[in-house]
Amino acid sequence: MRRNLNVSQCVAEALRLEMARDPSVVVLGEDVGRHGGVFGATRGLQKTFGADRVLDTPISETAITGMAVGLALDGFRPVAELMFVDFIGVCLDQVFNAIAKNHYMTGGRVRMPIVIKTAGGCIGSGAQHSQCLWGLFAHLPGLKVVTPSNPYDAKGLMASAVESDDPVVYIEHKGLLLTRAEDFTFGADVPEERYTVPIGAACVVRPGDDVSLVTLSGTVLPSLAAAEQMASRGTSVEVIDLRSVVPLDIATIIASVARTGRLLIVDEDYLSFGLSGEIVTRVIEELGPNALRQVRRLAVPDVPIPGALSLERAVVPNLASILMALEQMSNAS
Amino acid sequence: MTTLPERYAYMVWMREFELACLEGVPTHEVHGELHLGIGQEAIAAGIAGVLRADDALVSTHRNHLHAIAKGVDMRAMLAEIFERSTGLCGGFGGHMHLFDPSLKFSATGIVGAGLPVAVGHAYAARLRGSDAVAVAVVGDGAVNSGGFHESMNMAGAMRLPVIVVVENNEWAISVPFHLTSATDTVAERASAWGAVGVRVDGNDVVAVASAFQDAVARARSGQGPSIVEATCYRFRGHFEGDSDLYRTEQEKEAHRAQDPLLITHRRLVASGLSTDEVLSKQYAEIRAAVQDLLASVRADPLPDASTARDHVFVASTLEAR
Ligand SMILES: Cc1ncc(C[n+]2csc(CCOP(=O)(O)OP(=O)(O)O)c2C)c(N)n1
Repeated sequence: MRRNLNVSQCVAEALRLEMARDPSVVVLGEDVGRHGGVFGATRGLQKTFGADRVLDTPISETAITGMAVGLALDGFRPVAELMFVDFIGVCLDQVFNAIAKNHYMTGGRVRMPIVIKTAGGCIGSGAQHSQCLWGLFAHLPGLKVVTPSNPYDAKGLMASAVESDDPVVYIEHKGLLLTRAEDFTFGADVPEERYTVPIGAACVVRPGDDVSLVTLSGTVLPSLAAAEQMASRGTSVEVIDLRSVVPLDIATIIASVARTGRLLIVDEDYLSFGLSGEIVTRVIEELGPNALRQVRRLAVPDVPIPGALSLERAVVPNLASILMALEQMSNAS
Repeated sequence: MTTLPERYAYMVWMREFELACLEGVPTHEVHGELHLGIGQEAIAAGIAGVLRADDALVSTHRNHLHAIAKGVDMRAMLAEIFERSTGLCGGFGGHMHLFDPSLKFSATGIVGAGLPVAVGHAYAARLRGSDAVAVAVVGDGAVNSGGFHESMNMAGAMRLPVIVVVENNEWAISVPFHLTSATDTVAERASAWGAVGVRVDGNDVVAVASAFQDAVARARSGQGPSIVEATCYRFRGHFEGDSDLYRTEQEKEAHRAQDPLLITHRRLVASGLSTDEVLSKQYAEIRAAVQDLLASVRADPLPDASTARDHVFVASTLEAR
């Protein structure tokens, strides 16, 4: 029997299992305790583990992330929630000057087993509440960056993130958090017991021969739908879900592109100086400049996310724009 | 001087404006987390009419009432909230980001990000040799952010003409103020920053207006910053769609009985300044006027999708990469 959990419930279940097996795991952030998180991803944890281990903080992100550093230095495994990833603007300092660097700066003497748990993605909320920003975190050496796209991975990747001795930025997609398992065409079956999904292994969610479509997080579902439609028109699209941006599983991408020779990257983050450019560069470095017959990048074209949904749809990758890109690639070949 | 009947009219406009915004949620005309100020009208109405056009007001994610208090055009606001091309910012901003530079009104969706901006406006006034003041309206949650403390300290150290209006509705989403603040009130923190702090009943529009006027007068005459903490209650969830299970029904009921519109209505009647009849007629007229605004906004076009990449830079045709 399939448990029809939503993604938030899967995250909460993972945290519950980690907290039960490891008393050093603590959760802190805004509204994570009594309310159980604005999306429900920490629901019930305070009741089980108490208000000390599941701490409702003031709206003080600098203190939240800084406390995570102190807790980690003192032997704990903090899961610090930043309600929306956009709010990293308030507290990036602790994240990139301490959390990302302390292990390195101490010649490996200090570990930062911290999870920065946060939510990104577009749901019609305008420029300050819609960003993905995984490219930003990925640019800063020392942070692993995880971006689950489905219920199964959400639970298993959170377990791996908490277990990791390195800091992990775990970015949920707001559009997926309240989506139920039955609405997923992949990763819908979530075991009750603990399991992990390794960080750094991409997943081929749909095999194909003609085009390699590399994507992650909230754009995996529409990419699969687009691949499905293209199949009926005679183009076979392989869809790869990265699952993490750092480490980037370039081997899986290379293996696919080496067969198809055609690469489409669909990324809800900003286009330039980020993930999509990085992937293309690594593919070329690995396979040589002539390995690709076609390359396309579909990402937010270097604009803030507009307020009006009608404008948002014009800049954020969606089923229609993914299909159009695939069709153009298919027609041009 | 704004009279009590005028302040009541402001409150009715504000309530009806918010109810009009609410109509756009089930119809999917308004997206994202819509934060309404229903129940908190007496604070914005207490601010209304006190500021000059060249005074600045920086607001929050819950900003509609403050924009009305500053005199921002309600039609353009409503059009922005309803994501129309005729909106205050052409639909690029949305409900959390109302800006009207001609009235020095702005808002931010980042909690705690408003006060530093108000300090910038206050310093701009000093640089110009103007006696303009700068107001930041913030929630009780924002006062615990680092930026709040940094800004208060600078305003105090530099004796800048800054007024902070704290809408203390006790709740920052699900987290109550008394569990997150080291002090019982925000007002009592003022002395740490060389500021004057007062706490008033934010359901009492007269008390708010009087405290706010005093604070503005002090700021204008070079006596430095003030904190006006006004207690209030938000009648709706944090945003439209919030389950709001963290507050008991009992608590909500008790506060709804203290509706600032009712309180002010009764006060006007008791003091002989108006009658039930006059006030109900006026209410109906304002309601009809807001509904007319809504109907006309709904006939406006959505933004042209091909403009979505405009405005990243001033000269947007320039590929400035
Ligand atoms: C820096 C930052 N952290 C968190 C949030 C999410 N958030 C939006 S409103 C809010 C609560 C604000 O409470 P308060 O300041 O009391 O204002 P109210 O909503 O009660 O009007 C939170 C936590 C945010 N927008 N910005």
